[in-house]
Amino acid sequence: MADDIQNAHRLQMETAFLDARRSARRRLILLRAGLNLCGVAVFLLLWESVPLLFPGINKVLFPTPSVVFATFWPMVTSGEIPTNILASLRRAGTGFLIATVLGIAAGVFTARSRIAEYLTEPLLHGFRSVPVIALVPLSVLWFGIGEGAKVSLVATGAFFPIWISTFIGVRDVHIVYLRSAACLGAGRIATMFLVVLPAALPLILAGLRQAMAISLIVLVAAELSGATSGVAYMMSMGHQLFRVDIMFIGLMLLGALGFIFDRLFVMLTRRLFPWYVN
Amino acid sequence: MASLIEVEGVSQIFETREGLANWALWQVSMNIEAGEFVCLIGPSGCGKTTLLHLIAGFMKPSEGSVRFAGAPVGDPGPDRGVVFQEYALFGWMTARQNVEFGLRMRGMAKAERRERAREALARVGLERAIDRYPHELSGGMRQRVAVARALVNEPRVLLMDEPFAAVDAITRATLQDDLVRLWQQTGVSVVFVTHNVDEAAFLAQRVVVMRPHPGSVKRSVIVDLPYPRQRSSAEFARLYADIGLALGE
Repeated sequence: MADDIQNAHRLQMETAFLDARRSARRRLILLRAGLNLCGVAVFLLLWESVPLLFPGINKVLFPTPSVVFATFWPMVTSGEIPTNILASLRRAGTGFLIATVLGIAAGVFTARSRIAEYLTEPLLHGFRSVPVIALVPLSVLWFGIGEGAKVSLVATGAFFPIWISTFIGVRDVHIVYLRSAACLGAGRIATMFLVVLPAALPLILAGLRQAMAISLIVLVAAELSGATSGVAYMMSMGHQLFRVDIMFIGLMLLGALGFIFDRLFVMLTRRLFPWYVN
Repeated sequence: MASLIEVEGVSQIFETREGLANWALWQVSMNIEAGEFVCLIGPSGCGKTTLLHLIAGFMKPSEGSVRFAGAPVGDPGPDRGVVFQEYALFGWMTARQNVEFGLRMRGMAKAERRERAREALARVGLERAIDRYPHELSGGMRQRVAVARALVNEPRVLLMDEPFAAVDAITRATLQDDLVRLWQQTGVSVVFVTHNVDEAAFLAQRVVVMRPHPGSVKRSVIVDLPYPRQRSSAEFARLYADIGLALGE
């Protein structure tokens, strides 16, 4: 009887405790989202009030958020902005995918074969040191302003961080993993796909994330130097038409795209690799 | 009949960090029988781990021969299960997937290897942790998974390289009890590297005491105490002193 009362009391305390913890966590999430929004709102308000605070400012050169939004919305509904976003994403995505396949393959190959490593070492490190943006004018001269030229520029820029991080990840796989695989009877191919690549994954993912950021930079450089569509093309049009509001829209779109894809990448890796804790 | 493992006149040379030649082993010979439990003990640099790696096939001796089941040791394989000190479980696989790995390499059908892995994990008392990742397990549990991963392939010998050195003393005692039980149940040979006198006295039928510079066998201590051994008994104390003395000579 006394035990029953004890147990009931204990259970009650446990439920109350866990409930309190849950609602505390919920409150924290709400607080975070709320403050995130507040930060953005304060920024927009400050921006909007700049012409009031500095009356001499040129409103055409420094459009306020309300002006930018008034331009933005018709461009969305007319399909101009979605089309340009899609064009940019297609280029960046294709280039990034090509770089992923080639970069991982090159990284694995140079890490596993000493001959390949020593042969390519000076070339890869030399080319890696050239900022890809410096190749843009040459690419325009050679390949014009077609899609292929832009995709290959993005792929070139994204390739090097993926290659170098895959190389380091594969080269530095702990020998105990390799020995374990060997004494469990794994052959070369099984060891590569089931042991070496997963063991190198944290570094490969870091390289991919860096490559995503570089893809965006190279994409903008390529589109600015000649294109007929894309977010940066839109900006360069705004430049020529003296429409700073359109240029601002481009800047904000680029920021949003970079941010969203970085978040998506992190979410996807958590979902795909539950064992990989940062 | 020949012994399961025959080590004959084995020497192993290494280059030190200073660029000098160093003998990790110098003309070491020993036999290990099928079903025998042998501990290799000695200070660091005595070549005990090198000897284990030679039997596993991770390296070839600079001189002499290592034979396993009548044939020279070739590449590593599932007939010689190895349990490392730590960090050897594949972090991207659950406990069950780790244990299944060797069976999968043999091409065993999925349903059968799942069942075998489940049995192997149950044998080490881990049926409840079957779908957990190594980072979700304690150090002791991880080493149990490592033992299950080696034993599920039904090896002739279990090569253990200070497997319990990184776990706390209480867990270590339980792991030692379990190892003796598994050894008796399966009849596998065990070669167990340790630098812990108590561990060697508790586990082994024969304790091989080694010395460094160059790595060589100093003395072999036969232990004829019955299992499970009582640490509080007078015989155990005498054995402990014997091994300690051999180490200090």
